[in-house]
Amino acid sequence: MRKDRDALLREVWARVREDHLFPELPPPEWTDEGERVALEIKDKKISLSRPFVERMSEHMPEDEVVEGLLDHAISHHLSCPWDFRTHMKLYAEAKQTLKEPGLAQLATGYFMDVVADTYAMRRKESPLPRLYRYFERDEVDEAIHALYQRIWGVDLGIERHERIARRLSRIPYLDRRRWTASIRRFSKLLHALLVKEEEQEGANDENPMGNHDLQQYSAQEVESGLKDLARDAASPTEFKEIVEDFEEEILEATDPREEGMGLGSGRSFDADVLYYMKLAENYSLPVRTMPSRNSGALYPHHHLPWEIGKPYHDIDPWTSFGKIMPGITQTWKRREGELRGEEEETPDCLIMIDSSGSMPNPKRHLSYAVLGAACAAEAYLRRDARVAVYNFSDAHVGGRRSLPYTDRRVDIYRTLCHYFGGGTRLQIEDIEALQAGGAPDIFLITDMQITNLTALIELFNARENRVTAVHIGDNDSVRTFRRSMAPRKNVSVFAVEEKQSIPAIVLGKVKEYLYS
Amino acid sequence: MKNPFWDFRSVPAQRREIPLDRIVRAREETLDRIVQGYLQLVEEEVRDLVWLAEESKVERAYNAAVRSVGGLEYDADDIDEFCALLDSSSKIPYLISGPAGIYISALVNRAEDDRIVLCPKDYERSFHFLGYKLPEGKTLVLQGDVGDFTGAGLFGGCLLVEGSVGNWCGAGMMKGEIRVAGDAGQNTGEWMRGGEIHVDGTIQGVGTKFYGNTGYRVLFGGKIYQKGKLLVSRALVKGADQVSKGQP
Repeated sequence: MRKDRDALLREVWARVREDHLFPELPPPEWTDEGERVALEIKDKKISLSRPFVERMSEHMPEDEVVEGLLDHAISHHLSCPWDFRTHMKLYAEAKQTLKEPGLAQLATGYFMDVVADTYAMRRKESPLPRLYRYFERDEVDEAIHALYQRIWGVDLGIERHERIARRLSRIPYLDRRRWTASIRRFSKLLHALLVKEEEQEGANDENPMGNHDLQQYSAQEVESGLKDLARDAASPTEFKEIVEDFEEEILEATDPREEGMGLGSGRSFDADVLYYMKLAENYSLPVRTMPSRNSGALYPHHHLPWEIGKPYHDIDPWTSFGKIMPGITQTWKRREGELRGEEEETPDCLIMIDSSGSMPNPKRHLSYAVLGAACAAEAYLRRDARVAVYNFSDAHVGGRRSLPYTDRRVDIYRTLCHYFGGGTRLQIEDIEALQAGGAPDIFLITDMQITNLTALIELFNARENRVTAVHIGDNDSVRTFRRSMAPRKNVSVFAVEEKQSIPAIVLGKVKEYLYS
Repeated sequence: MKNPFWDFRSVPAQRREIPLDRIVRAREETLDRIVQGYLQLVEEEVRDLVWLAEESKVERAYNAAVRSVGGLEYDADDIDEFCALLDSSSKIPYLISGPAGIYISALVNRAEDDRIVLCPKDYERSFHFLGYKLPEGKTLVLQGDVGDFTGAGLFGGCLLVEGSVGNWCGAGMMKGEIRVAGDAGQNTGEWMRGGEIHVDGTIQGVGTKFYGNTGYRVLFGGKIYQKGKLLVSRALVKGADQVSKGQP
């Protein structure tokens, strides 16, 4: 019997795949779970519930049940939601209309079902209507099935909900460009019924066609969807409002042990960090590499007279006139020096970010300072360099956070996203301490309204680090800083007024290469 | 060699049509024509995007709106969607509350449905003149707060507002009934000639206040009730018959 069923699934799958023009999906399989839920899609893999199909096959041929379920599942993949980003966008619109996350999730699920099923019905003669006739229905299901009767021209045995079905039927479900307006109207019209469904104690909250959780998407899809969402969101708050409702699922959908999503180990979820992390991934700033120094190799530095007993291999035959004689023969004295090898490397970077009151709060509004700093951090981390962060406001009274050199993105972003909102003063000693005995690149992002700007200018004048200074806005302090730094070849100054200015930043740019 | 298109042999050359296509197409056509009518009204009646609510202008705009919707076939759902379009669509470049409300009223008054429900609470903007000249036999239910001149010139219809109304509610109404579940603004019922206004909340002022030194602004007829109690039944012109007048 089991073998027969497997063969049946293979046969129906081949047929359905052809009907849907061979979607790139793995072959479906049977599962023994879920008597009430027919379908489960995890990471693109469709699982059909054997008990459910058995139950439904009492009313109609088994191959039709399977075909209907597969039509539904494939249509979700091919039409709505299509991808994680669309799913989230639809949810955001529904939430804006309904205000309640629970209701919005229900509305989004129903909307996606209507679109997917209608897509299937237009594509082919699907057995979906016959399948729906035998489904258990609650109030909302009845309204949706009444809608199906109108828009598919079939009889599902529903006589109620005439008015709501009439109004719902006017929505252009198959017009993808209008889905945002469509789901708003859909949610508005179903609002009362959804509230009723949510309030009903013990109501069947399982969708027979499967719940629309985020497990259906692959980790890569979630990751790229989050990136798109961050780019499209007008503010961190907007991004946060969408993703926070799916905190568990996002963590579930992506393996937190992998560094892929960027959250690193542990199961912490910080929407602000995620927002800037994903937004920064949309930009790629170039970092100028520099010749590696102090390679450790000895190189011939100067001549010394050869003496008896000294090794021969350092003799310089050209200055020894071809003779081996003490006092005449010259040997090379080798020394380790400031040798700049041919290999280039990216130095570590110290990011200095101003989070004083004159800068926007990155948790409420899109902060170009945090985004710029995040892009810089990403650029260095991508090149296997480490990043230290100095986040300052009233540094002299404790308004500062220092993160030593690290490659842990979450720590870096957390320090970048911290907002003090006070005055603006740096502690030069803090910056000196973060030089780590070398000369890391320095990335400064601020509006330059720093109380002790002179001290900072003196510091930059005294050091040879490559400095990328980015100022937000324009004011007298910016002009002072630009004037003072004009003669310095190792300091590049950039202005950021909008998101589009960020890609113009070149990190570690040196006006005239020091050793050229 | 195998024909590479053989696998697609079952794909129909023509797309299947389902009733949704027809419904959506009809809806689009109707809405387009309604929108065109509104834009034409605005073009004719509004100069420099300024429109003053003067009696003659209101009357002229309403007549133009009635002419514009005359040949249209639509239902209550079309009106509801048109309101939503006015509120949020890029299809309509500008919304001027007065003419928009008058146009909606013309749509409501000419619709075949006897009872029409609109949801102003769903809209971010407010419309004035909703229920203007609502005729006998029609019921208009407005769910949410509405703007000024709601139910102005009411002509026998029944206007139910599940929210608050702005100023000049029922101004110049001839007959019919306005029921407001929330509050009403100033000059409620000014110049009304008949019918009843029932307000369950507070009324900021009825159309009976002093008019210079010459007397009162008048209600020529009709009754205003507040929380079930008669507030004004016919206000006076100075020296005219005394009528019942409560505390507004």
